[in-house]
Formats: sequence, structure tokens, C-alpha cells
Amino acid sequence: MNGDGGLPRLDEVAYSRRRFLTGAGVVAGAVVAGRVVDVWGRPLAAGATVGRARPPAKGRTVVFVELAGGNDAIDTVIPYADPAYRTLRPTLAVDAPIDLDGAAGLHPNLTTLGVRYRAGQVAVVEGVGYPDNDLSHFASLANWWTAQPGAPGTTGWLGRYLDATVGFDDPLAGVVVGPGPSPALLGARSFATSISDASGLRPRTPSWLTGADDLLDRWARMGDARAGRHLLEDQVRRAIALTAEARGDLDRMLDGSTTADDTTVDQRAYAGGSTAVEAFDVAARLVTSHRPPKVVYVTNLGDYDTHQGQAQRRPALMADLDAGLDRFLTIVEAAGVADKVIVMTLSEFGRRAHENGSGTDHGNAGSHFVIGTKVKGGRYGQPTSLANLDSRGNLPFAVDFRDLYATALGWLDTDPESILGKGFHPQAILA
Amino acid sequence: MGPQPDLVAGTRDADAGVARALDLTAPAAVPPTIDPPVDYDTGRELAQIAPPIAWWIGQMQQSPRLVEERLVWFWHDHFATGLQKVRVPYLMWQQHLLVRQHATGNFATLLKAISRDPAMLVYLDGVSSTARDRNENFGREVMELFTLGRGNYGEQDVVEAARSFTGWVVNLPGRPGTRALPNPAWTSTFIPARFDAGTKTLLGTTGNLDMDGALDVLLGQDATAIQIASKLYWALVGTRPPDKTATRLGRVFRDAGYEVMPLVEAIVADPAFLADAAVGAKARSPIEKLVGLIQAVPLASAAVGPVGPRAGNALRTLGYVPFVPPNVAGFPEGTGLLGPHQLVHAFDLLSVYPSRPTVPATVAALLERFALVDVSDRTRTVLAREDDPARRLALVLASPEFAVV
Repeated sequence: MNGDGGLPRLDEVAYSRRRFLTGAGVVAGAVVAGRVVDVWGRPLAAGATVGRARPPAKGRTVVFVELAGGNDAIDTVIPYADPAYRTLRPTLAVDAPIDLDGAAGLHPNLTTLGVRYRAGQVAVVEGVGYPDNDLSHFASLANWWTAQPGAPGTTGWLGRYLDATVGFDDPLAGVVVGPGPSPALLGARSFATSISDASGLRPRTPSWLTGADDLLDRWARMGDARAGRHLLEDQVRRAIALTAEARGDLDRMLDGSTTADDTTVDQRAYAGGSTAVEAFDVAARLVTSHRPPKVVYVTNLGDYDTHQGQAQRRPALMADLDAGLDRFLTIVEAAGVADKVIVMTLSEFGRRAHENGSGTDHGNAGSHFVIGTKVKGGRYGQPTSLANLDSRGNLPFAVDFRDLYATALGWLDTDPESILGKGFHPQAILA
Repeated sequence: MGPQPDLVAGTRDADAGVARALDLTAPAAVPPTIDPPVDYDTGRELAQIAPPIAWWIGQMQQSPRLVEERLVWFWHDHFATGLQKVRVPYLMWQQHLLVRQHATGNFATLLKAISRDPAMLVYLDGVSSTARDRNENFGREVMELFTLGRGNYGEQDVVEAARSFTGWVVNLPGRPGTRALPNPAWTSTFIPARFDAGTKTLLGTTGNLDMDGALDVLLGQDATAIQIASKLYWALVGTRPPDKTATRLGRVFRDAGYEVMPLVEAIVADPAFLADAAVGAKARSPIEKLVGLIQAVPLASAAVGPVGPRAGNALRTLGYVPFVPPNVAGFPEGTGLLGPHQLVHAFDLLSVYPSRPTVPATVAALLERFALVDVSDRTRTVLAREDDPARRLALVLASPEFAVV
């Protein structure tokens, strides 16, 4: 190739030497299984249409709520009547749980969830996990993301769902509300969108830059279809075209309003992103829009990895979660689409039954919620029993998390076997 | 760590480029410091971290010690520690200074220093791990992420390692619920009474292992050397090493007593390093984009600082604020950086310029500043049809060509 301007002889050697001087690959985070995959998968077939508008959807939505870090099941659905409870949790035992049935109660800060439980809209599923959990955050999250424990594949389970149902046509069928993409929605022939707040996919450009919309139109026209060593670049080019198209649609879904802020690098910058209420507010706008996504995946709701300081941290986490869920459900109910939506919580594992002095270490099975007007409320799975711990002092798993996934796929009218493989079945918790 | 355009232009061939990149003869810049806080309450003033971050990005932009800045970021990411949990900027910056001190030095030394570093002890709960109430967080992550890698240890090894790491505390003056400690404020120390002095068996080695004893066991495993060598290969080359190469580089690393520079030299001597196959194989990270941007078009006034609050917001949106990794596995990488969110918010980085920057007037001159030499025809056409140089800058920043490296 010829040199440009004042840089003569930019031949292959010069090109190569750029390798070091330009700082290729400064970042090398540890490899999280399921993330090391080509987001854009196989290249689009020649002539494939992208970003084709789909008709207004009347379909259903599942909202997943990822409680990353390992949500403490024993402090969520509390076995307060179990004689071992106060022995195992001498400093962390909760005094006034919201009673469910005389044996167990919800964390006292799950106030509105308790009200909805009594209204029969909350399924509490206990003992959720999978065999041989090795209790590593990253391994276990990867298992939940790929739904292939022990042999994590290269795609996320919701990515495979999007591959099978919408493909590249609709980048807004799956939307992550969080700081970035989730490996759970990583497909081979589809892509999901992730947004951090109601500004959607609008860049936040400085005021001296004029004509942002026109600029984005031009942006979408950059890059050639180039193969060989340009494969990744070509995939970026396609992604940009789809992104530009999805952007406008998303703005309409989010009702044109924005919470984009111009605040300085403040407390929030280091606090791990938006609070639960803000995130659920965005989720509610998506679900009540003219074309609700099939999947909304809410992440980054705080650090549930409470090895220490649990007595202070858990009440705040539970209150925040409850406020967020209430915001979401209240909006969805007011919009009259409550019967189109279910909400499902996820977490990579529960926590050790025996506290470690100020917190709890990684455990095995978790307790999760499935919420909605079409849910048959009640307790499901293996009722939490502190007399029935595994050899490491953890709640044993009884319900495979993929059975919960199958329940969600059933709600979306999709054959679970096509996504999860054989052997997983929807739980009888939906009306 | 970025395309310092003047260096690229002045370098004659690949060998000279590599030699220049590895040259550490220029004196290291003196980093700024944060004064030790009076107590835990005032120590949590998060804004204290902003000036050091600005200085650090300035180093990435213009340090003559190229390989050092690359390695500082590499180890920062490798030993990811989050301000979200540590809360005290002073401790985070002390860790940074430690990383900077050892970045081009010895991995075993760095590992041992990081393991008793106050920020790490807080982040992975070493401070609350005692003989009676063992906390496995650090014991697990040190094997999974910092040394061996998954598949090279068992659950019992996690227990035995965690026992070996008990006994360390950090003096956080004025933190509620902590008792007085003999060591100076903001330092760590070992308290024998909190240590599990029993016999441990870690990966086949039995004894009364303590922190260094357990770390020596981990450093004695081939898997550790191979893991670190592979990760550094990915960072420098942009592709994953074939198994044979990884094994060979692991041996080089161990034979060098875990000295970092011999490993770097072995990696850059591998033919893959200069092969075109590795060019453009990897996603460019947001921090690399920011550094590339201000190298291409420097800020008008040094007084503004290389990264103001608005650029900080952009990095936050992109999930790449230094000291705030999303989790202990470090910052996002690879194709996870190529989704709609990451692509569209690349434009946000322009906020680093408080006012309209002075941009080279021609497309060719602009691309040269970005060291983009292999640009597609359509991109050139789009750029040529845009009359406003500042808008051209925005388009280059968000272009498919600049998204990979």
C-alpha cells in the first residue's frame, strides 16, 4: 500500500512494526468462558437484509434480573422457624421476616414483593442450582450464561434463543439494561443491544460537535466488505450499520425521553452504575413500548458477594431490589400489559449456611422468584432446610436452573429442547 | 502504550521499532501521590482518584518507556481490584505505585507484594479471614485468575490455600467496628493469633504453609507460568498462542525466575508478533481508543489535564474507568467490546476536548496521526465528503478501522 501524506514507505514492514508502537492489545482481562466468542458470528449471507422493521409485537416478554455475586438464599427466603437458623447465623439472623406460611418468610425489606406474594403473583422457587457447582463466580456465572455447565459453549443461552427466533433482523428483541453486553445474550447469528439508561443508543457528544444525527448517518456508511485479515473489521462494519438502524427505533421505544446526565465524575461513576430503580424504570419503558423486546436482561444491581459486612449490605440490597421491582411492576400494571410479562431472578449460587463472622462465603443452591400476574404464586422446589446441608455446609441443589429457563422459554412459545438440549422441562408455575 | 505518531514516523524498520518499544533507559516519571487520609471517613473522598488517573493516562499518552506503560495496564487488569469495594482512593493509588514499581520486574515478587497489599486484602476479603472464620475469596481467585488458571486445582486446594492466607489485617483508622492495630495506618500486617497454624496440603505440598509458602507452591507449578505467558502473549500479539508456544513461553518464564522482561522479549521474538495475521485481530479497548485519540490530536492546553470529568463519564459509560473494573476478572475484552453500546459510545470520548480541537486539515494527515495505514475505500470516501475536520475526527474515532488493533 502507498504511503499517505508525510508518512512515506508505509509498506508491510512499516505496517507490522506498528504492532508495538501502537500498543496492540493493552487489555487482557481473564477469559470468561462464553465471552471469547465472535459476537457477530458467521458473516451475514451476501445480500441479507439488516435491521428490517418488524411489525408491532403483541408478544410476551421475560425480564431477567441478574443478582451477580451470589445472592444469599437463606437471607432472601428466610427459614426463620428452623431451629438451626440462629445457630448458623448468630450475628446475621433477621428478626422480622415477612411471613409466608409459618415456616419461612421473605427478607423484611422485600415489602412490596410480600404484598404481591399474598396476591398470588410470586412463585418462590427454592433449591435452584446445578450438579457439581465449583463455587467460582466466573465458572458459575458462565454456566448460568451458557446453560451448559461443565462444558460451557461459546454462545449464551438467550443468544441461542435469539439466533433461533429473530437472527440479525432485530437487534432490539433482546435488550440488556446494564453497563455492557451480557454473555447470556451472546449469539452466533444474532445480536442483542445493551443500554445503560434511557438515553438508549444515543452518543453523548460534546457541544462543539455539530449535527450528530447526520454524523451517525455517515458513520453507518463507513468500511468496505473486506475479508482475510480484515474479518473482524468487517464484522464491526456490519454491526455499525445495524446499530445505526436500531438507534432510532430504540429512541421511540424509550419515548424520546432521556436521563442522560452531564454530571462530573461523581460518586455514581464509582458506585457501579445506576440504582435498581433507574434500571427497572428503563426496563418498564421497553416493555410498555410499541414493540416490547422478547427478552430484557437487567444486570449490575449491586454487589451480592457479601463475604463481609453482610448485616449492613444485605438490607440495602434487598430494599433496592424491592423498590426496583415495584417500580417496574407498577408501570407495567398501569399500562395494562402485566399479563404479557414475567420477571425471573437469577444468581450464580447461594451462600454458605454458616456465617463467617461478618458475612457468608460462596454456597450452592439459591432461591429465586418468578413474578407476574400469570404466575401461580406459592413456594416451589425444595423447601429450605438447614438440617439438610451438603458436606460443605451448603443448601443442596434440587431444581436445575435450566428448568427455570425452560419455563421462560415455554412462556415465549419456544421449545426448550432446541435451546437447552434434552431433559429440561417448564415448571408448573405459570397459569 | 499508544500510537505515538512522532515515534512511528521516526522509526525505520520493525527491529528498530521493537527495540525502541522495549527501551527502558529513559528515566521513569515521578508519579503524583495522594496524602494519607486522616481517617476512614475522609479517606473515602472518591474524587481524590481523578488527578492520579489523569496523570496515568498522560503517561500512557507520552511516556518514553513504552513497554512499561503496557505492562502497568496489563498488571492493573490482571490483579483487578475495585474502588467500588475498597472505597479508599489512597489505597488504590498505593497499589498502583506497587504495580508500577514491579511492572517490568519480577512476577513472583509482584504476586507476593500484591497478596499483602492493603487494597487487595480489602478487595478479596483477606482482612476478614482468620483461623476461626476462614474466607475463601482470595484463596480461590489467586489460583483461578492470578496464577494457575481453572482446571489446575481442586476444591480442597481452595480451602488449604485460604487457610495459608489467614492472619493478615489492614489498619483502616476510624473504620467502624475495627479494633486498634499495632501497625501504621493504611498498612497491612500479619497477626499470628489470627493465623491458621495447622498443617496444610496444597497441590501435593504438605506443611505449615503461610502466605509466601502457599504462593511458592503456586509459583512452582508449570501451569502458573503458562497461564501468565499466554495472557501476556494475547495482550501483546492479539491472538491466542498455540499450545506448543504457550508451553515454550511458560518454560522461558520459569527459567528466567519469573522475570517479566525475558518473557516479553521471547514473545516479541515469536514470528507471530510481526505477522500480518495478528493485525486487526483484536478489538481496541476504550482506554486504548482514548489514548490513541489524544495522541493523534493532542489537547490544546496541558492545564486542562488529559482527562477531564466529561471524558471520565465517557469511560464510565464504556465500562473502562481505571480502578473500577466490573469484577475481579478485569476489564471486558475482545469481541465483547464490539456491541452496539460500545460502538456508539466511542463518540463520547470526544468529550475529552473541552472545546473544538485543532484537527489536521487533510484526511491523509489525520489518518497518519492515528497510524491508520490500511483504510477501506468507503471510509476514505466518507471522510473525504465531510468538510469539517472536527467531524472527520469523530468519524475516524468511531470507524471500523479504528475499532480493531
